[in-house]
Amino acid sequence: MSVIQTIPKAPTQDSLYEQASQEYGSALGRLARAYEADPEIRRDLLQDIHVALWRSFAGFDGRCSLRTWIYRVAHNVGASHVEHQRRSRTQILVDLEELDQLPDASSGQPAADRSQAMDRLLTLIQRLKPLDRHVILSYLEGLDAASIGEITGLSAGNVATKIHRIKNLLARQFQQRGEAND
Amino acid sequence: MTDNPNTPLQNLWQSQPVESIHMSIEEIRKRAGKFERKITRRNIREYVSSLIAATLFGWFFVRTHDVFLRIAYVLFIAGLAWVVVQLRRKASSKTLPLAMEAAASLQYFRAELERQRDAVQNVWSWYLAPLVPGFIVMTLGYWHSMPYPKGLIASAIVDVCVAALFYGIWRLNLRAARCLQRKIDELYAAEKS
Repeated sequence: MSVIQTIPKAPTQDSLYEQASQEYGSALGRLARAYEADPEIRRDLLQDIHVALWRSFAGFDGRCSLRTWIYRVAHNVGASHVEHQRRSRTQILVDLEELDQLPDASSGQPAADRSQAMDRLLTLIQRLKPLDRHVILSYLEGLDAASIGEITGLSAGNVATKIHRIKNLLARQFQQRGEAND
Repeated sequence: MTDNPNTPLQNLWQSQPVESIHMSIEEIRKRAGKFERKITRRNIREYVSSLIAATLFGWFFVRTHDVFLRIAYVLFIAGLAWVVVQLRRKASSKTLPLAMEAAASLQYFRAELERQRDAVQNVWSWYLAPLVPGFIVMTLGYWHSMPYPKGLIASAIVDVCVAALFYGIWRLNLRAARCLQRKIDELYAAEKS
């Protein structure tokens, strides 16, 4: 009996992009929302992320998972966008420690509905410096500490500290119970 | 994904309505080409401004009969040409290499900051110094072409203004380079801690 073995085709730049777009399209949309509040500019940013992904796949060597690769590229494009916008809008970004100490009028107040909670969460994220923004977004996407370390390049200890701070910050800002749960 | 169940905020985040787009490969290629053209246009703009400045010095050269001033204008044109060559050499460092796009965020930020630091900290050697010989000879030209003490005063005023401008540019860039270096050091520390 002859066994015909088919050698699996190596994924091409185009096929990798198609796969990324299908599997992570929504995550990329959420990520763009965290990097740009203006819907018009956000659409442009999202397109830039897609183009950057497609371009990057020409050099994808499988040394990290497809997910890590996608998040890295998308976050890096988002961070470059924030840096560019910061220069033109003179926006001041803070890190997690500073954000935790800033007074916030809405802090501790329950949000009226999910939409209000979402707006508050986005405002909070958009005030963060890129690296801390990466960590909080990855945490919200449900990634574990090891994956976040792989995406950001931060040491495991540093990621653990940052996640601990994020949890405390979110708990204080959103009152641990009730909110966003209805 | 984490083994732990999602918190309410993670659920809220992941269930938000988002606009996801689908771009065909053709659209992607088209937009990528647009990006390349944008870079080319930026380079052309820089060359054209240098060309305009060189033309202006050329016009001054034709209009004057003073030997010193003529030499000064030639030196300015040569200095500008040198700056353009350096701009071209540095063009590749205006944006990060493509491979860096998929680097871990920390390395990406560091590379970007190092690129910016290198561009500003050497501004004296590639951007300001090539224009200095022209100014020196122009000073001699003023002394030579204008009666004493008018020539001396005029050249002193021009020299002080130019020296102050160059010093200001150099100091600002040095300060920016130091500020960038601090951020780079912070990233190195974040990687190791």
